[in-house]
Amino acid sequence: MADQPTAAERFIQGILPENPVFRQILGLCPTLAVTNGLKAAITMSAAVMFVLFCANVMISLIRNLLKPHLRIVIFTLTIATFVTIADRFLAAYVYQMSKVLGPYIPLIIVNCIIICRCEVCASKQGVVAAGADAIGQSLGFCLALSSIAIVREILGTGKIFDIRVLPAVWPDWVIMVLPPGAFLTFGLLLGLVNWYSARSQQTAGGK
Amino acid sequence: MLSYLIDIFLIGVSAAIINNFVLYYFVGICPFVGVSRKISTAFGMGCAVIFVIAIAAVLSWTITAYILMPGAPLSAYVAGMFMPAEAAAGIDLTILSYIVYIFAIASSVQFVEMYVRKFFPPLYKALGVYLPLITTNCAILFACLVIMSKITGVDNPADAWDLGRALTLAVGGGIGFTIAIVIMAGIREELNLCDVPKPFQGVAIALITAGILSLGFMGFTGVDSGLRKAMMPKPEVVAQAQPATEAGK
Amino acid sequence: MKPIQQMEPLSPTAFERLRNNNIIQAWLVLILTLFFGSSLAGVQMTLGPKIEENKLNETLEKIPELILGAEGAQKLAESGGKLDVTPLSFVVDKPGKKAVYNVYEALDKDKKRLGWVVKTGGQGYADRIELLLGVDPEVKTVSGIFVLEQKETPGLGNKIVTDEWRGQFKGKNTEKSLGVVKGGKAGAGDINAITGATISSRSVTDIVNTAVADLKGPLTAKAEGGK
Repeated sequence: MADQPTAAERFIQGILPENPVFRQILGLCPTLAVTNGLKAAITMSAAVMFVLFCANVMISLIRNLLKPHLRIVIFTLTIATFVTIADRFLAAYVYQMSKVLGPYIPLIIVNCIIICRCEVCASKQGVVAAGADAIGQSLGFCLALSSIAIVREILGTGKIFDIRVLPAVWPDWVIMVLPPGAFLTFGLLLGLVNWYSARSQQTAGGK
Repeated sequence: MLSYLIDIFLIGVSAAIINNFVLYYFVGICPFVGVSRKISTAFGMGCAVIFVIAIAAVLSWTITAYILMPGAPLSAYVAGMFMPAEAAAGIDLTILSYIVYIFAIASSVQFVEMYVRKFFPPLYKALGVYLPLITTNCAILFACLVIMSKITGVDNPADAWDLGRALTLAVGGGIGFTIAIVIMAGIREELNLCDVPKPFQGVAIALITAGILSLGFMGFTGVDSGLRKAMMPKPEVVAQAQPATEAGK
Repeated sequence: MKPIQQMEPLSPTAFERLRNNNIIQAWLVLILTLFFGSSLAGVQMTLGPKIEENKLNETLEKIPELILGAEGAQKLAESGGKLDVTPLSFVVDKPGKKAVYNVYEALDKDKKRLGWVVKTGGQGYADRIELLLGVDPEVKTVSGIFVLEQKETPGLGNKIVTDEWRGQFKGKNTEKSLGVVKGGKAGAGDINAITGATISSRSVTDIVNTAVADLKGPLTAKAEGGK
C-alpha cells in the first residue's frame, strides 16, 4: 500500500488545508443551522468531536474484521449509537442548549464528514492516526462554524455570549440570524477562502 | 372531518412552502448544492426523494407508534410475557429511535433504487452515485425526527400525530425540497452563462443564490397562521355551558 | 466513496461456501449490535431520570415567580421555603374535540391554595407558542405569564418573552376577554401590542383568553369542592 499520512499529518491537514466545511464542502446542514449563536456552534462542534473521535477509534480497532459489503452498515450502526449517547448527554447536562440545537444533534448521524472520515481514514489506519485525524477534522469543523457564527452573531445582535461588542447605535441586522443570513455569510466566507487558497497556490507555484 | 382536512392541508403547505425544508430548516443542503446543475436531473432527484421520504415516514411512524414510544402496544405485549403488567406498560424504547430510523431510511433507499433501476434506467444512470447517497440526505431523517417529536413529545396523547399527518408532512417536505432544487437548477443553468468571479464559482455562488431564494421564501411567513384563522371555525371564547370533567393524575 | 462492487457469477459448488460465509460474515454486525444495545440501555438507565427531571424542572421552577411575582418568589427562595405543587389534568369538551390541560396547583406550607399555573399553547405568527399562565385561586385575575417556547421573528415578535411586555398581564381582570390595542394606549382590560408584531401579541392574548375561558368553570368548581 502507498505511504499513508502519519498521525501528525492527518491532524494538521484537518484544520485548514482539508477543512471539512470550507474545502471538502461536507456537513453543510449543521453549518447553516446552528451558527446563529457562538454558544450553539461550539456545543455542536463538541458533540461532533465526541462522535467522530469515538467512531474513528472504534472503526479503527475493528478495521481488520470489516467485510467490504457490510462496512457501511457497521459505520452507520457505530455512528448512530455514539450520536444517541451524545444526544442523551446533552439533554441531561445542558438541557436548555439541547433544546436550542433540537433536531440537529441526531442529524450528526447523516453528517457526511463522519462517514467520510471512517471510510477514508479509520478503516485503513491505526488507532493513533485515526484519533488524530478525528481531532484535526473536528478542530477544522469548529473553526469553520465559529467563524460563521461570530459574523452572524455580531452583525445580527451586536453581542457575543451576551457581551455587547458593537456600539448601541448599530441597527441589528436581524436578517443575519435568520436563514438567508446563514446562506449569504457562508457563501461569502467560502468565496474568501477560495480566493485566499488560490492566491497562496499562485505565490507558491510562481516561486 | 373538515377540520382534519384543513389541518392536513395546512401541515402540507407549511412543510412545502412556508417552512421549506431546504430554505428554512437547512436540511438536504448537500444534494441541493451538489445535484442542482441541470433541471432534469434535479427534478428526478426531487421525485426520488419524495418517494423515499414517504416510505421512510410511514415506516418510522408505524415503528414509533407501535414499538418505540413509552407504553407502545407491541412492546408492552412482548414485555408483558417477562415482566409484571405494570412495569411492561411503562416500557420505553425511544433510546433506539435514531438507529431504527436510519436503518428504515437505508432500506427505503434500497427499495427505491431497485424500482428506479427497473423502470427509469436513464434516470438511474444520470443520478449515478447520488441515488444511494439519498441515505445521508438530512431531509429524510429530519422528517422522521419531526414525526417522532409529534408522537412522543406532546403532553396530551390526543394531540399525537396520526399516520395521515405524518405522511402529509413527509410528502410536503419532499415537494418543498423538489421545488427548491428545481428553482436552484434553473438559476444555476443561467449562471453558467454569466461571468462569475473565480473565487465564487461553483458552490459559493450557489449558496449566495440560495440566500436570496431564502429571502424570497421568507415572504411566506405567517401565511399558515392567517390561513388557519380564516379556515378554522371561530372558537367560542365565552365560558362553556357543559360541566367539564376532571381527569385523575 | 468506493462504488459497490459487482459480485461474479457463482458455480453451484461455491454456493454452499457463500451461504456459510454470509452467516459467518454477519457475526460482527450481531456482536456489535449486542454491544451497542447494552451500552445504550446503560445510558438510558443512568441518564434517563436526569432528563425527566430536567423536563419537569423547566416548568416547576417558574411556578413561584408566576404565582407570587418576582419579589415574592425571591423572598420565598431566601427564606428557604417551597411551594407545594400538585400536577393535575383537566379535560374540557369543546366543539369538535376534547382539550386536555395540564394545570399545576400551588399550595403554601399551610395547605392554603395560592393559585393555579396552566400550561397551554397555540398558533403564533411563525410557529407554535407554548406558555405558562398563572391565575389566582378564584381565576379572577391573571398573576403572570411565561413563554416557554416560541419561534417568532427575532427583534419583533421575539419581544413577547421580555419582562416588560409579559408584565402587562399581571393583575389583569378575567371577567371579559383581554383585547389588544396598537399605539400604546391600552386600558385596564387591554394589552399593548408590540410595534411591528401585532399578530404575535394577538396570538399570545388569544391563548390566554382561551385557557381562562375553558378552565374558569372547572377550576372554580375544584376550588370550592376540594376545600
